[in-house]
Amino acid sequence: MKAGDIIAPGDENFPKFSKTPLIKNFQRMSDYMVSQDRDDLKLLMTIFALLPTPLVRLILILATKHEAFPGPLGSTLRQINLGVRGIIFTMYYSGLGETGEKILMDIGYKTEINTKVTPDMEMESLIFNANPLLNQKQKTSQEMMRVSRQSHQHISKLSIEERLKFITRLKLVILERQEEITDIIQKETQKARTDIMTSEFFPIYEHLEFLEREARNALEEEKVSTPIAMMGKSSKIWYESMGTVLVISPWNYPFYQAIAPITCSFITGNATIYKPSEITPLKGLVEMVLNAAGFEQDWVQIAYGDGKTAVELIHERPQKIFFTGSVGTGKKIMAQASQYLIPVELELGGKDPMIVFEDANIERAVKGAVWGSMTNTGQSCTSVERLYVHEKIYPEFREKLLTETSKIKVGVDVDGDADMGYMISEKQVMIVAELVKDAVAQGAVMLTGLEWDFKSKRVPAILIENTTHAMRINREEIFGPVLPLMSFKNEEEAIRLANDSDFGLSASVWSKDKARCERVARALVTGNISINNVMVSEGNHALPFGGVKDSGIGRYKGVMGLRNFCNVKSVMVDADSKKIEANWYPYTKTKYTLFSGLTQSLFYGGIKKWVGLVRFGLPLEGHSQKAKRD
Amino acid sequence: MQIHSNYDVIVIGAGVSGSFMAKELAEAGWKTLILEAGHSFRRNHFPKHEIDSNSQMYWSGGVELNTSGSLTLLRPKVVGGGSIMNQALMDRFDDIALDSWRETSKMNIFSEESLKPWYEKAESELVIQEIPEQYRNGNAKIFADGFAKNGFTCSPLIRGQKNCHFEDGNDCISCLAGCPIDSKQSMPVTVLRKALMAQASLISDFEVIKIEDNKERTIVGGRWKDGSHYTFTAKKIVMAAGAIGNSKLLIENDFKKSLPALGQNFYTHPQYMVLALYDHEINAHKGPLQSYKSHDRNFRAKGFKLENVFAPPAALSLLIPSLGKKHLETMKKLPHMACIEVAVRDTSPGQISINKLGRTVIEKELNAEDLKRKSAGMEAIRAIFASTGAREVFEGDLGLGLHLMGGCGIGSEEKNFVTAPDFTVHGHRRMTIADSSIFPNAPGINPSLTIMAMSKAAAHNLIKEGI
Repeated sequence: MKAGDIIAPGDENFPKFSKTPLIKNFQRMSDYMVSQDRDDLKLLMTIFALLPTPLVRLILILATKHEAFPGPLGSTLRQINLGVRGIIFTMYYSGLGETGEKILMDIGYKTEINTKVTPDMEMESLIFNANPLLNQKQKTSQEMMRVSRQSHQHISKLSIEERLKFITRLKLVILERQEEITDIIQKETQKARTDIMTSEFFPIYEHLEFLEREARNALEEEKVSTPIAMMGKSSKIWYESMGTVLVISPWNYPFYQAIAPITCSFITGNATIYKPSEITPLKGLVEMVLNAAGFEQDWVQIAYGDGKTAVELIHERPQKIFFTGSVGTGKKIMAQASQYLIPVELELGGKDPMIVFEDANIERAVKGAVWGSMTNTGQSCTSVERLYVHEKIYPEFREKLLTETSKIKVGVDVDGDADMGYMISEKQVMIVAELVKDAVAQGAVMLTGLEWDFKSKRVPAILIENTTHAMRINREEIFGPVLPLMSFKNEEEAIRLANDSDFGLSASVWSKDKARCERVARALVTGNISINNVMVSEGNHALPFGGVKDSGIGRYKGVMGLRNFCNVKSVMVDADSKKIEANWYPYTKTKYTLFSGLTQSLFYGGIKKWVGLVRFGLPLEGHSQKAKRD
Repeated sequence: MQIHSNYDVIVIGAGVSGSFMAKELAEAGWKTLILEAGHSFRRNHFPKHEIDSNSQMYWSGGVELNTSGSLTLLRPKVVGGGSIMNQALMDRFDDIALDSWRETSKMNIFSEESLKPWYEKAESELVIQEIPEQYRNGNAKIFADGFAKNGFTCSPLIRGQKNCHFEDGNDCISCLAGCPIDSKQSMPVTVLRKALMAQASLISDFEVIKIEDNKERTIVGGRWKDGSHYTFTAKKIVMAAGAIGNSKLLIENDFKKSLPALGQNFYTHPQYMVLALYDHEINAHKGPLQSYKSHDRNFRAKGFKLENVFAPPAALSLLIPSLGKKHLETMKKLPHMACIEVAVRDTSPGQISINKLGRTVIEKELNAEDLKRKSAGMEAIRAIFASTGAREVFEGDLGLGLHLMGGCGIGSEEKNFVTAPDFTVHGHRRMTIADSSIFPNAPGINPSLTIMAMSKAAAHNLIKEGI
């Protein structure tokens, strides 16, 4: 500080070195020095601190005139000159903080780079993947669990505030690199760019912001009421971590389905093992964004592989399995998990109905139907897979639907200029082909998409008419850009048709009549419902999401969803006193009589309760303190 | 923890030579591992404050001096090495430089003619542009005017750059701590990228400590950023840690006994920046940092060259030889400052050694001839400033060593040279060097392009010989 003020004393416009907070940046520099240099410098600073100011000033002035001194003295002075002046000036003139910025501004130094560039994701991923120490051969399931148990100790000790810092950093990392991550996702999925933006990125940001906003409250200690019979005690709930959460994700939203469950698991204090689909592993991407956001490597481990990998991981007994995918795989997972009683959460398929009544705004409903069935090339568990239109408006609706559907532009775009990308999975393309062919063979008619060869991943939007509920196309999940169009006569029939399915994920009802909408919505057996809109219930991250029937088990998202990643620990606190509880031993005749009286009065409600408490409760308390077995 | 992976080649250092060698070898199908002590920064992550770029991107936190403290050596420690921090001047060597190399090393490759194909190959890896004169700033204008007024010759710089977008109003002084728009053709933008695309592995933040050549294979050991130690084996090693890095590693691993010339003949092109104050605003920190270089036969004959440069405030503050209020008064005139730098083609050989504490010791001073060259340069600078109306001139006493060369000189006799004419280390066929450490003397011209050319030639030798 003494040297600092001699070197940088400031003036009326510039601050004196010791009056600035700049010294706190010393370590920022010294951390990188060779230890000897650092020690020498610290020693010098200590000496300076002991010497009177004029002497320090003299030494520093001599140091600037080192040229005049030959030999070792000159060398020492030069080193002092460079070392001390260098350090003080570097802190003073590096533009550090508000003080530093103002200093630079006041000496007239302002520079800018105006050319906008995006981060170089390609090179970052090359560098990441080129590092054998970061990409050592994938650990065995056993090793992963071992690492996970250790890292859980670490994560669970972080406060929620600390965890939230990582969430915020992650959000910024993704925001900053959105375009380049889009390239990577598009390369692997061949989706339309707008689909990637609206259904991978947007919900990720919404989700992370939900965590920033709500996780603190959702996970903090919750006080609950304590019944009168337990007077004097307090009751609360702790939302604690479970241990290791195994996340198994599908290929339809490979980035969103990675980030959302991983962060739910992390924010609740769990270690995570994440297994992406082998069809869209996005190799290295998730590691990289987490790494850039400061997550330690062991907090979230990524297990690449197929079903076999999942079986091995479940065998290692994680504390929870969070699965999103098909009904078939979900059943297998639950069967295996049942052997170890691992709690599972299953987010499975859907066969979502859309019901349009005669009084609905037809233009809007048509556009909603097209988007709801075709978005993400129909590869969404909440895609509209059955469209029921009231017979009165059916012809008009059908015509408009045809027009809208034929406008869809299919392609893997570079600039947002395509509505629908290609399908992701070849296997799924085969399923789509099979279901459509089966329906056509039984009399259904393809209104659009006739140009498709039933093989290519470039599947056009297919409207199909004259289907029945006996056909597979209306019973099995299509998971492609296909919309069967049907009509109904009345509300009752619409409900019956919509509920005639093994699935119950989400649904939509369209009508001007609010009362009717609510009536139908309540009558539908489903986990989520949108009224006069489509696929919006999952857009609000404060709402829980999940299905009934074959669509799954459990709820995800919202406060409820977050708590599903927790060990919900119930706590009752009593004082460390001499008091003996009435229900403890010994049981005596007197106690039995008093207890019986108390029970009979306490739960009938009304004034009797209070009378009972006085008449039986107080004597019971008194008796319990001294009761003895005869 | 140990990893024993059998690589075909381990490249030590991801600077210019290391990146070029790795690219050539990986593309030829060699299983290549690059080990780099520095960190990997990408265009959007370069440190923005001088305090951080100095400490995080150079060895010893940016503080490395010769024994007398007369030279500050700036030795980049970053993925991309000097190509991240330099001004990307891409000049071929002339016959003056190459003749003296041929004379010292007795190698015929050192002629404009023989090196031409290698220079061409090297140049083909980068975009090389002349700086458009229309964007030159006040500092460049003084340089050009002063040259004209004094009858000196200068020419626009030839740089490895793709598009500096001066039309956007970029102030390219930040180029010195990494180009944030990836215009500069640094290694991560160019050949290192290609090396990685060709499946080369790269571990950054990894400091090599141990090198062993046991005739059947080579062993390289070191420490990663987390403190853990790893050992790798390979059939061959490429040493590309620069003049000081290569010399230090070889000395520490006992190569000095068989290679007496190790660490000898170290050169730095000592550079001195001279500031001048003008009445009008110069704004040397705006626009392109550099536009011109001297291109003057007399200068070349006298053993120096001049460059049109500037420095950001913290560095600049050290060039002004005063303290306190007086220093501040000068700093306040920053927009009125112009700067020219003299680089000496040094003749006095320095020496790199390791002391008992394991510390690198650089003995390197200017001899009478070098001082003469320096003063000739200073005189020219003074003339330029005087003729363009400078009020006051600050002759910086801070010598900078930016071109670190030699220590593993190339030549045929084992007694006097470390590197053999085929770029292998004398007596160690499995070890190759082609970076600036093999320079037999100071060429007086920016070394980057020649390092690239030599690395191309050395990689060609290795590939021809086979794994």
